[in-house]
Amino acid sequence: MKCLLIASESAEVLFHWSDREYRQNIQEKYGVSQEEGEGLPAFEDILSTLFAPIIISCSTLEDSYTSFTTENNHIYVLHQFDECLYIAVNGDGEEKEDDLRRKLYVLKKMVEVMFGMVTLSGNLLRRELRPQDTEQRARLWKYLQSLLETYSLLRENDQSFLVEAVERLIHPQLCELCIEFLERRLVQQLNSSVERAGEEVLHAFVLVHTKLLAFYSSRNASILSPSDLLALIVMAQNMYPSNVDLDDMSPEDTESTSGSGPENFYTPEPSPSSRSSSSSGKAGRGETPVFEFVDPEIQMAEDSLHTLEINPPDPASPRRVFLEVSHKDGPFPMMPHSMYCLSLWPGITLVLLTKISSSALAISVYKYLEEFDKLEKRLHEGHGGPASARSPLNMQDIRSKMDKFIKSLEPHDLQYAQLQNVWAEFKSRAFSRGGSGFNKDLIPWCKNMKTQLCGIYRQCFLTGSLSADVTHRLSAGLQERAQAMVREKLVDWKDFLLVKSKRNITMDFPGLVHFICVDRATGQMIAPSLNITERTTSELGKGPVAKYIKNKVWALVRTTRRYLQKGYSTVTLRDGDFYFCYFLWFENETGYKLQPVEIPVLPDDSPPIGMLAYDYYNRLLRYCSKSHKGENVKCYELLTVHLGVIPTEIILQHCRQLASKLWEPSRNPLLWRQTRLRHSSKGQGQMLFTPLEPQRRGQIPGLGFILLNKHWDVQKAFRTGQRLEVVQTP
Amino acid sequence: MAELKSPDTRRCRYFFLYDGSKVRGEGDPTRDGICYFYPEETPMDKQDLLCGQLAGVGRCVSELSSSAVRILRLRRCKFAIRMKDDFFWALGCSMDVPTVSVCELLDHLINLFCFYNGSVRQSYQLNSKETLAAEWARYLSHVLSGPSELHYILQSVRTLDLTNVDPLLLLKAALILQACQRCPLVLAGCVLFRGRVVSTQMPPQLTIKVMVHETETYTKTQRSSGTSSPTSDSRPVSSTAVFLTPSELQYLQSAPVDKISSSHSAPEKDAPPKKTRLSRTLSDTPSSESTPSRPASCQSPQRASFSPHTSGSEDSVFSPAPSQGSSADSPNSSPPSPIHRFSYGRNAHQVEGRTPDESHCRNLHTGGSGVSQMLSEGDGSAFEESLHLNRGAASKTTDCGNVAFRDEKTAAGDGGVCCRKLRGHKAEMRQPPSGSCSFDSLEESPLVSMVLYVHRVNSLVLALLVEPRFMGDSASMEEVNHSSLASLNGLEAHLRAISPAAPGAAGPYLFAHYDSVQSTLTTNVSGRPGGAPEHPFVRATSLLHSHFFDTETLQEAIIRSAGTAVYGTRTVAQETYFQQHGGSMRNSGIPNQQDSAFSLPSKARHRLLKHGVNLL
Repeated sequence: MKCLLIASESAEVLFHWSDREYRQNIQEKYGVSQEEGEGLPAFEDILSTLFAPIIISCSTLEDSYTSFTTENNHIYVLHQFDECLYIAVNGDGEEKEDDLRRKLYVLKKMVEVMFGMVTLSGNLLRRELRPQDTEQRARLWKYLQSLLETYSLLRENDQSFLVEAVERLIHPQLCELCIEFLERRLVQQLNSSVERAGEEVLHAFVLVHTKLLAFYSSRNASILSPSDLLALIVMAQNMYPSNVDLDDMSPEDTESTSGSGPENFYTPEPSPSSRSSSSSGKAGRGETPVFEFVDPEIQMAEDSLHTLEINPPDPASPRRVFLEVSHKDGPFPMMPHSMYCLSLWPGITLVLLTKISSSALAISVYKYLEEFDKLEKRLHEGHGGPASARSPLNMQDIRSKMDKFIKSLEPHDLQYAQLQNVWAEFKSRAFSRGGSGFNKDLIPWCKNMKTQLCGIYRQCFLTGSLSADVTHRLSAGLQERAQAMVREKLVDWKDFLLVKSKRNITMDFPGLVHFICVDRATGQMIAPSLNITERTTSELGKGPVAKYIKNKVWALVRTTRRYLQKGYSTVTLRDGDFYFCYFLWFENETGYKLQPVEIPVLPDDSPPIGMLAYDYYNRLLRYCSKSHKGENVKCYELLTVHLGVIPTEIILQHCRQLASKLWEPSRNPLLWRQTRLRHSSKGQGQMLFTPLEPQRRGQIPGLGFILLNKHWDVQKAFRTGQRLEVVQTP
Repeated sequence: MAELKSPDTRRCRYFFLYDGSKVRGEGDPTRDGICYFYPEETPMDKQDLLCGQLAGVGRCVSELSSSAVRILRLRRCKFAIRMKDDFFWALGCSMDVPTVSVCELLDHLINLFCFYNGSVRQSYQLNSKETLAAEWARYLSHVLSGPSELHYILQSVRTLDLTNVDPLLLLKAALILQACQRCPLVLAGCVLFRGRVVSTQMPPQLTIKVMVHETETYTKTQRSSGTSSPTSDSRPVSSTAVFLTPSELQYLQSAPVDKISSSHSAPEKDAPPKKTRLSRTLSDTPSSESTPSRPASCQSPQRASFSPHTSGSEDSVFSPAPSQGSSADSPNSSPPSPIHRFSYGRNAHQVEGRTPDESHCRNLHTGGSGVSQMLSEGDGSAFEESLHLNRGAASKTTDCGNVAFRDEKTAAGDGGVCCRKLRGHKAEMRQPPSGSCSFDSLEESPLVSMVLYVHRVNSLVLALLVEPRFMGDSASMEEVNHSSLASLNGLEAHLRAISPAAPGAAGPYLFAHYDSVQSTLTTNVSGRPGGAPEHPFVRATSLLHSHFFDTETLQEAIIRSAGTAVYGTRTVAQETYFQQHGGSMRNSGIPNQQDSAFSLPSKARHRLLKHGVNLL
């Protein structure tokens, strides 16, 4: 009994997803009020009819609804993102209010990754999310629906999506090997090939299921944020699902993915979730060791309502994704990239992210959008225009830049002409003598300009991105070669990696049942696996006990988030036979524990605490840095589950040991305290290097550390013999 | 004290009752459906908007989910919702009040209305909106008049500060109630002093309902006559019709009351519940199962010496018997005046005050071994500001008690209305309609009409729930009056003599101990203005309370922010919250055995012992 929908203010359904129970429920509700004999209208129209009173009421009330709970515990969560109202419903008790809110935010994030700045214009987004062409609409919705289902499955089963941090495979040698290969062989070769068609590989990473084996960013690339990386993992998982659920299947089912058995397409039992059937097909396809690109669209399971046959688009076409880029002028959200997702073996995937040739345009569009947004706000507030001395907006400057920008565009399509017209109109109203000048009358024109800019952006980066635009992408042959290269490199490690991904880390504390450690500065987590299936055992054993503990861990994370939201950074709970601890603390680079700051108390309907849809920790770190000026603040979290009979002192001792041990380099280099590189003007690095304890300073090997941000430069510098200045942070 | 504050706007933003049946057609204005809206000064347009939108959306969601909406949240306000027939209640509170508490408050509010007015639908058929609006306002202000935010989160019966009350007085109160119960028409009762419970035989929720009436009367008296010196205007005996839910009635009747032989029943009443008591409540903390034998030996002499003394003194002071003139310290101790006949008819009965029979009083005090048991309990709980419950409360922990509460929470309902505000003929017309359904209409349980009999002696009040025919049965009334009056007078004098305890200097810690069986709250949180340092504690308590409510298996929790660490623990019957002041928060949030937060459980155990809270 789950449902999720996006509606416009006029109660038009822009997207919906629901499971079979909910669909039946809604159809029955609707059927009762309808005449006999008439066929049911499209499901989205039924939803629109039934939800209309809620949607319309939302825009009537000044203080908007955030949730409803009924006596039979149906939960409705609502959130207005700009002009779109998102509603999530649960009627089976499996999700709580915060889960639903998180789902809304994740959907929003996915929409942003897919549509970029088009989301900034309500009008354009509406058209984008609900294409006129029903076939196109069905295809798009199915893709989004399967993304949502993939996300939900990951959130319910994968600890890294529970805490929203990336999990690394802990094997330093292999990581190093792999990263070196990505850098020296793969990316270098790709970027020097003529077949890359103007694209440049910025990031390359290898995923083993959802865990990261190696991540390489090219020198020109900016940091890939944890939020974006997590979103990309969801997309990769959606394309090549690692069978989290496979373990639950019967033995003959799994053979097709075991890697040794004959290719064996199985048919799972029909289930309301369309994912299982799609995963089987993909798993089977992934078997064939030759290059094969499977577009996600054709993998989408049949929906009971829409059974359209979709022509598979060109399999070699990448997916357009919009990711945040940090530039020297600051961060730019939603910059266009192409994502190539190449399956190496079932469960192991190579992902390439490329910069597309015209991406500079996106930065300009974003800058102008911001300018017009600022102007609009000022006009709303009733401030004067550029004439007033207080105005920080230099409209004349913007004017000339904008003129140049428009000239630089290719003047051959309709969108261009529209932008030019609107800009001309804007100028005549704003700058000319006869115009109204900078007052409230200009607001609609500001809006119009923004819409036009979004339109240009859409024109450049969205239309055609999904179609077979062969000229602007890595050629199929090049992709095939890349895939073959990595395959060859990793072939001996393949089975090891798949096993390793299930047994990443073990622990040796008597009485400790489970733990999760998260480094929030880098968005990485580490935890013993929690596979709870009949046939595989984890550190927790198997069967109902493991399932019980898993549920407890999931509940604990929800609970601690609730407390964190209200400003509590330490929580211990005695619950049933278990004792749970949660700690969040800050350190500087040297590992010194920083004085705690009062963590802001947030309202109940604030964005979910996590990193995927909304980077709460990034904001927390920035907030904390304010009171620790000049320090590179780190934030760590530790969750533990102990048996309740263990004395509290011992439990705390364990927690303390875990907190320090897990970040010891020998144990887990991936979580090694990050070194930080500051680019000096000569392009040479100045390294601020401070390991855990001063005496360990000599130990930093640099090599093999695969870091998610600029820090990769350090190791690269080491290897290339670049001079690095080691400076102790004050 | 019991003065009614105007509802705290920070806690309660809105309360309204909307009758959807009045707005059926397209042209019907929304305001026709608004039965009551708080704050009353809200512009009509805004009232229309809120009522119309919330009720409309509520109906839409209810249809989608085939179930009534219970909670509706806006960004800055959360509403508990009740939907019944065409009625739509909404109580909107600020976001920091726990959701569970908001729901409880609304249910309580509706239950109060039904307790005094009977069925909501019928009340609105028979009375004007304005009349009933005044009723709602009255109950709302009562519900929101808790002394501190804590009382708002943990709904509790307000009890006498027992730290400076002689336990024997509590015993005396209990005995008065028992004596009254000898009359078969008396269901149960409670003794209140200055708006606080001294002793009660009723379950907490019912006691709270009864107290609304009393508190109001008391407040009126206060206002009309300055400080505690009721004028002749205050009538010593009054009565009002009330409506019990079937479960409440069943509970009261199921108590093992031997209505014929009064003296023998006393020990039986107390003994069984003691064995089944689940909680480590105040009263049984020091007196474990084995102790009842102890007081029998060591306290009986005390009682023996006490009882003649007190009864003697009270008789001498308060009885109209002209034997003593030493009533100088109690100028208002007039002989019980005749019961006033109420203007509205048959519920009012004139009963002549009678001189209390002294020997009768004595009999009461030596009413059996139950007495000694009461004493031992009284001793143990003497340090608490807690309700000293006798039979009623104790047996509540038996199976029927909690069930009764559950029902009661959702119960509100139909029935006639017979309250002071009504004209007499109306009251007569409206007998509780037997077929009408109550709020929890699933059970189709009609409300049962009863009468609340109130006997006031200055600030002391004896409130009894009696069968309606009690008021027509002069013999019964006389019996009750006989058995209680002298003792009431004596009790009043003693209680009045107790100087109000000076608000104790806040210790180096804050705590709140909630007994969920007896609905009592023991705390040193004052709720005084300028209680800002207490706010973090209240906030943490509110969060933990919600958490305990949601997670059945959770036993204890420590939560800490940069500046505050609060420990919470609970059992089936109680919740305790503790915060230690000071103690520098040197540690940085990393796991650390030296962290002062982790010593909170042991500190709480030690510190709270002297408040009678046993966490061992």
